[in-house]
Amino acid sequence: MQTSHVQRSPGRMRHGRLASVLLAPSLFGLAAFLVFPILVVLWLSLNRWDLLTPMRFVGLDNYFDVLSDPTFGNSMLRTVIFVVLVIPLQVALGLFMAVLLTRGLPGSGLFRVIYVIPWICAPLALGVVWKWILAPYDGALNNLLGVSVEWLSNPALAMPAVAGVTIWSQVGYTTLFFIAGLAAIPDQVIEAAQLDGADGWKIFWQIKLPLLGPTLFFVLVTGVISAFQAFDQIYALTPNGGPQGTTDVIASRIYLEAFQGGFNLGRALVMALVSFVILVIITLVQQRFFSERITYDLS
Amino acid sequence: MTSAPTLSRRTLMTGLAGAALIGAAGCSPAAQQNQASASASGAPATVTVRLWDEQVQKAYDASFAEFSKQNPEITVKTVLVPWADYFTKLRTDVSGGNADDIVMMNGSYLQPYVTSGSLMEIGADFDSLKPGWVPAAVEQYTRDGKLWGVPQLTDGGIAVYYNKKLLDEAGITPEQLNGLVWAPDGGSADTLLPILKKLTIDAAGKRGDESGFNGSKPKQWGYSAAQDLQGIYYNFIGSNGGQFQDAEGTFVFSSPESVAAFQYIVDLINKHKVSPAASNTNDNGDFTRDQFLQGKIALFQSGVYNLKNVADGAKFEWGIAPMPAGPKGAVSVVNSIIVSGNAKSDVPEATRKVLQWLGSADGAKFIGSSGAAMPAVTGAQAAFSDYWKGQNVDPSQFATQGGMPSISAPAGENYGAAFSAWKPTFNEIFLGRTPVAEGLKKAQDAANKAAAS
Amino acid sequence: MTSADRTEVPGRTDQAAPASEVDRADGAAALSERPGTRAHNPAQRPAADRVAPDQHAAPEESTGVRSSRRKRRNPLADALTYAVLLVAALLTLGPFALSFMTAFKSPGQFASEPALTPPNPVTTENFTRLFGGDYSFISPIAVTAQVVALILVGQLAFSIMAAYAFAKLRFAYRDTLFWVYLATLMIPQVVIVIPLYAMMVQSGMRNTFWALVLPFMFGSPYAVFLLREHFRGIPDDLIDAARIDGAGDWRILWQIVVPLSRGIIATLAIITVVSHWNNFMWPLIITTGRDWQVITVATANLQSQYNANWTLVMAATTVAMAPLLILFGLFQRTIVNSISLTGFK
Repeated sequence: MQTSHVQRSPGRMRHGRLASVLLAPSLFGLAAFLVFPILVVLWLSLNRWDLLTPMRFVGLDNYFDVLSDPTFGNSMLRTVIFVVLVIPLQVALGLFMAVLLTRGLPGSGLFRVIYVIPWICAPLALGVVWKWILAPYDGALNNLLGVSVEWLSNPALAMPAVAGVTIWSQVGYTTLFFIAGLAAIPDQVIEAAQLDGADGWKIFWQIKLPLLGPTLFFVLVTGVISAFQAFDQIYALTPNGGPQGTTDVIASRIYLEAFQGGFNLGRALVMALVSFVILVIITLVQQRFFSERITYDLS
Repeated sequence: MTSAPTLSRRTLMTGLAGAALIGAAGCSPAAQQNQASASASGAPATVTVRLWDEQVQKAYDASFAEFSKQNPEITVKTVLVPWADYFTKLRTDVSGGNADDIVMMNGSYLQPYVTSGSLMEIGADFDSLKPGWVPAAVEQYTRDGKLWGVPQLTDGGIAVYYNKKLLDEAGITPEQLNGLVWAPDGGSADTLLPILKKLTIDAAGKRGDESGFNGSKPKQWGYSAAQDLQGIYYNFIGSNGGQFQDAEGTFVFSSPESVAAFQYIVDLINKHKVSPAASNTNDNGDFTRDQFLQGKIALFQSGVYNLKNVADGAKFEWGIAPMPAGPKGAVSVVNSIIVSGNAKSDVPEATRKVLQWLGSADGAKFIGSSGAAMPAVTGAQAAFSDYWKGQNVDPSQFATQGGMPSISAPAGENYGAAFSAWKPTFNEIFLGRTPVAEGLKKAQDAANKAAAS
Repeated sequence: MTSADRTEVPGRTDQAAPASEVDRADGAAALSERPGTRAHNPAQRPAADRVAPDQHAAPEESTGVRSSRRKRRNPLADALTYAVLLVAALLTLGPFALSFMTAFKSPGQFASEPALTPPNPVTTENFTRLFGGDYSFISPIAVTAQVVALILVGQLAFSIMAAYAFAKLRFAYRDTLFWVYLATLMIPQVVIVIPLYAMMVQSGMRNTFWALVLPFMFGSPYAVFLLREHFRGIPDDLIDAARIDGAGDWRILWQIVVPLSRGIIATLAIITVVSHWNNFMWPLIITTGRDWQVITVATANLQSQYNANWTLVMAATTVAMAPLLILFGLFQRTIVNSISLTGFK
């Protein structure tokens, strides 16, 4: 059905004026609060500013300083450890719970709702709650188990504890995505496989999982980006980088460098920039990895 | 064309728009409270005073009520910021232009604010008040010949608060607490340790000096050893003849005397278990105080700044005893606190008036009369002694200790950075995970590096 | 709009959806081409049905259908499943129950009895202390509500406008500009907060209400992306018909396109509210003192001041979490469905 083109004029600029009006506010926001700050970052990273004394231009000194500083290397390492601890477990558990919840058992809806509750709460607030639960002397966990474990002061335990809290708060949310992904798999496909004699296990591994590709991709990419920037709950649980710096992930380190201790904004910004670049690389790598592997076509 | 919305999206949108309009006013109930009381007294000038001590805040509120009676055009409000965050917040606030007009200041953190010109000089218009101030305090806060704040509190020395009931149960008299001596590596010269062991009880009821004592399941501790600079470790260092920082400001706490002092403290915690595990105290400066108030610690070593807290919070009979002495005597840290004016205050004239009030005997006596602290304004000190006499408490031990040889509090331009640099390693030392000598050397190097940058 | 409104992306307050979202969208489009897929086949269903969350009962429907086809129910497997689900539910709710209980205990009882004993007597002294004294939570709640309301209205309105432009209008550099929007999604919040802080300090805006709101209220790239996808699915015929009837683009946008997108807009509203209500790092940096502290900052401050006074601190976290939990209780069906909606594309 051809619509009348009476009121349309050809050309790319036809909606120019209207578009500028519609785009103006968000473009302004983008420019003022996103693009401009990046330029400011680049400028500030070349200066030394400790918030009290006037700014001093130091060229690339901050870059040399940070890149040769073991503290920065430690932060990157801790961040990687955190991501590696949190994401695979979170995704696996999310998928596992989703499979359980899509078996059609009565009450699945209620469970689904329950698991999402941690997502609604502020990570900061959850962190404070867990700080109590994991407190060595009067914390709930030690009380319950009858032990005196130093969950957050022991360098071997602090990172697992922090990762555990993060996974705990995120699994339900991840589960929802997988439920939606599983639900979208057409019944015909499953039935066809069942007719062919495949059992549940095989169906899962060879049909459902590949078809969950896009969901998996989304969950992994957004999960990694989010875990990379984790701050709130880590700040609540281990405010100063944790025992021996074991929970000194990059977001925490940047905050501490800029607003506590040394008050060294130039260094903090260099760290922020470098971690940003690394994050982009990781994301692009993930995207490349997945685009070659996702099963889109069923025919 | 659209079906009639149920929980009408329209209603929701209107509601949100309404909320947005209210929001456009950007009203904060807290801010309004401030304005309300200001306009209530018809005052054109509001001066804000920032501090970290709750007890002093109460005293100040009373003091400022009196001040506003005499100066009705000025309202003064106090703002409390927790000690743990106080100096980090102060720096960002001074930088961000949000600092209060008057800020309580500590000698260790003073320098950068002087260097950057953030503080008002206490100059000629205070000359008439200066003679009334404790000389040590004036000296501590004079840099380049100029005074940078009005002395307010003088801490005297450190002493030991004891829980009489727990002492009685252990068969120890308060007199036995006088003249206690600690010695590095224990040994027969150490009269402190046996007492502490006797005062420590595990969950099974065994005391620290009985066989079968299991320190991992404590019910009660004898002592409050912790990573507490003013209350604990500084004094042990001084009492062993060691130094924390030399005259040039270099940190020297890995000297043999200091190492021995730290080793003793760490052993109290981890070896003899007469004090709570450091995982409780490393990041919580109030843990030992709170446990003492709950009757779980027998001897709480601290300063006069906790006197009111103890008096108000202890539900048992308590007393004050001298601090244990070390090989080189009982050397304590002595500290004064000042209040400084913000050089960038909106209301400099009013701020000066308030500072003058606080520097006068009339203004400072409230601190004394509430028992919160010993005023640094000599004319107001009688109020302090009178208050405690009325409470049947004798705080003279703090003054006595203050009159004895002391070790000066740390300071420096980059003190904050140095502190952040040494704290993680100190945490490890107190947790028993890093050997003392090695840890102190590492911490000292980090601190000096941070201080020099 | 800053990467601080990464907050939009489902997943976390400080998360960015990658530029690869576009590829994914294309992939998803390919997915939707297949016969039999439930969702997102614009050609087959009108947009309204497709996106309205209340009608989108995909998970339950499909599981219901599938289960009726299952030939064998294995009771052992079912029992095990229930066991696992129950344990998981206990683990999820446990911390909340414990903290809630502690908030109603007196400090004395807390100090002397194990953590798991129920409060006896149940006392509200922690809450009265919370609302009476220096650390009253009334102001933070009011401030947070206003900030979120303003950001919500601004973000939705301006993102809808931008998304319509990208979806339905033709103008120079349209696609390039859209890519710029997407690219900004990749910038982590932690990179932006420091320069924004410096900018605010320079302009004297530190510790003001508007400092909390302005960086976010001009729209969100993520919202623009999502909305554009849905707007694209609205048939041009509808819009042309309205034009013929004499409607201007403005009216078309607000009276045709928006009502048809109720579902996705509700979803975005939920995500925006949750993210900004729980935002912590930016308010922590840009505000100080009691005037403008939001709920998260107030909680952190209280924990710092009353360190290890756990009954009081748990009362604070309970109050901090209550508003959204109540909202969740009321709208849980919508919320849960919305999350599923955004995730699967």
